[in-house]
Amino acid sequence: MSWQPELDELRKREAMAKEMGGTEKVAKHRSHGKLPIRDRIAALLDAGSFREIGTLAGKAEYENGQLKSFMAANFIYGTGRIDQRKVVVGGDDFTIRGGASDAGIRGKQIHAEQMANSLRLPMVRLVDGTGGGGSVKMLERYGYTYVPANPAWNYVVDNMSMVPVVAACMGSVAGLGAARVVTSHFSILVEPTAQLFTAGPPVVKFATGENLSKEELGGAQIHRKSGVVDVVVPSEEEAFRQIRGFLSYLPSNVYQAPPVQPCSDPADRREEKLLSAVPRNRRQPVRIRPLMAAIFDVGSVFELARYGGAVVTALARLDGHPVGVIASDPYIAGGVMTVEGSDAMTRLVDLCQTFHLPVVVLTDQPGIAVGTHAERRGTIRYAARAVAAVYQATVPTAEIIIRKCFGVGGAGMTNRHGFVQRYAWPSGDWGSLPVEGGLEAAYRSELEASDDRQALLEDIRARLEAFRSPFRTAENFGVEEIIDPRDTRPLLCDWVRDAYALLPSQLGRPSHGTRP
Amino acid sequence: MPSINIESEVTGTVWKVEARVGQVMSEDETILILESMKMEIPVTAPAGGKIVDIKVAEGDHVTEQQLLVVLES
Repeated sequence: MSWQPELDELRKREAMAKEMGGTEKVAKHRSHGKLPIRDRIAALLDAGSFREIGTLAGKAEYENGQLKSFMAANFIYGTGRIDQRKVVVGGDDFTIRGGASDAGIRGKQIHAEQMANSLRLPMVRLVDGTGGGGSVKMLERYGYTYVPANPAWNYVVDNMSMVPVVAACMGSVAGLGAARVVTSHFSILVEPTAQLFTAGPPVVKFATGENLSKEELGGAQIHRKSGVVDVVVPSEEEAFRQIRGFLSYLPSNVYQAPPVQPCSDPADRREEKLLSAVPRNRRQPVRIRPLMAAIFDVGSVFELARYGGAVVTALARLDGHPVGVIASDPYIAGGVMTVEGSDAMTRLVDLCQTFHLPVVVLTDQPGIAVGTHAERRGTIRYAARAVAAVYQATVPTAEIIIRKCFGVGGAGMTNRHGFVQRYAWPSGDWGSLPVEGGLEAAYRSELEASDDRQALLEDIRARLEAFRSPFRTAENFGVEEIIDPRDTRPLLCDWVRDAYALLPSQLGRPSHGTRP
Repeated sequence: MPSINIESEVTGTVWKVEARVGQVMSEDETILILESMKMEIPVTAPAGGKIVDIKVAEGDHVTEQQLLVVLES
């Protein structure tokens, strides 16, 4: 006299749910190079750790009171573990009615976000759906229309200030699905099989007259640099690697300090090549990525915001301690700050402030972008926003001035009115304006009055050149320490422990909500 | 033979053209050098291959995303 019959019924219904859209639809999905949602979840999570929730939700058909057929809701979610840490993961089942929400059970989406918010667990979204309530057919089904509301959006937005949110665009994703991808701290687009757009080709054709394929409208080519996602990856496997990687630097929520790992890379490693990493010729750019690799724990540099152009942002580790990193790539426009770069920097600072990661700035900043194109885009306002983010952040910050530091951009790389652990390399080159740019403007009247303008120009230049030495700045305590570049890693590994000692008193929600 | 379009990542001028059409480049070898923001920025071969076309000459002004070189890999 037990409940075994009901248990049998339960298992039967679970099995029906796991058939998803049926053998044919699942095979078609696979043939496009896409994994079905439960396979994606299994590939992402630690083996066997997925605990699905809401498996039984869906549309049932009965005959003579008996369950005849069952179409599962096309949103699958539950909890699981990534590197043994619990997360909430949810994703769309594209094999059922193209993943549109009108076939799904809205409650599952809401419950997933609410669970992440209340249990304070990272939220992972594997998005492969055509949007939210976006089918005109629903008018017929309901017999009325409605003012739209994005389901669970109170939790979706609050989660940005509570837990790490990571999203992958893994198919053709429009509208609400696209919004769920981008309302995250880190987002990924799978190049071979995914596109992301506000609305797909049919709506666009109606709205703007453009006749475009899905790839042309929102494929990798569009979004590699558009800023809509952090990174474009070549496969689903790489997407899962990126998700796991990103989460490994962050705590499970804002109430915990970032996870410190054991580190086999010696904190006192001094790389010989750092002594000549910066070219003596001011016109020759420095290769920033090998430089970063020489400073941070081996293999620990994890780049974010690949659309950032000359601004390089990353997560990394120092002696096992996660940190945020801001650097410049002078191979791109000499390293100037553009709109995209400013956005990347703002997001990195806000991410680190939210999750309490100390920040390391490797300064080589010639300044904010100039010229008509830059002006048309309103560049300095976006740069000012990045600087405001820096000044509003309270996480411990260290700065290594490796080369240039000029102008409003250079000034704004760290909070120069607060405490920053600052070191300068002998290659440091700083000022309000570089002599090259500022001479003609500052000495205009003298030059105009002169008989031999060129000779006077050379004269002034030589005179000012002598004043440019970082040692003169140090004499006036304009910079606290000039160091041997090879000492950078040991110094930063020492600093990071001081930084982490401050974190416990800073934990908790950010003072201003975090936005995508 | 896949062809690779090498576009400029910056707005600036072509300072030096170091390679010729028909030359076989190895990965990371410098094809030409742009000047932007008072920096000499090398444009390198993203993969080994033969230069099929160089669209710019020394002194030319270039804009971001402008096609510079076509490489056949």
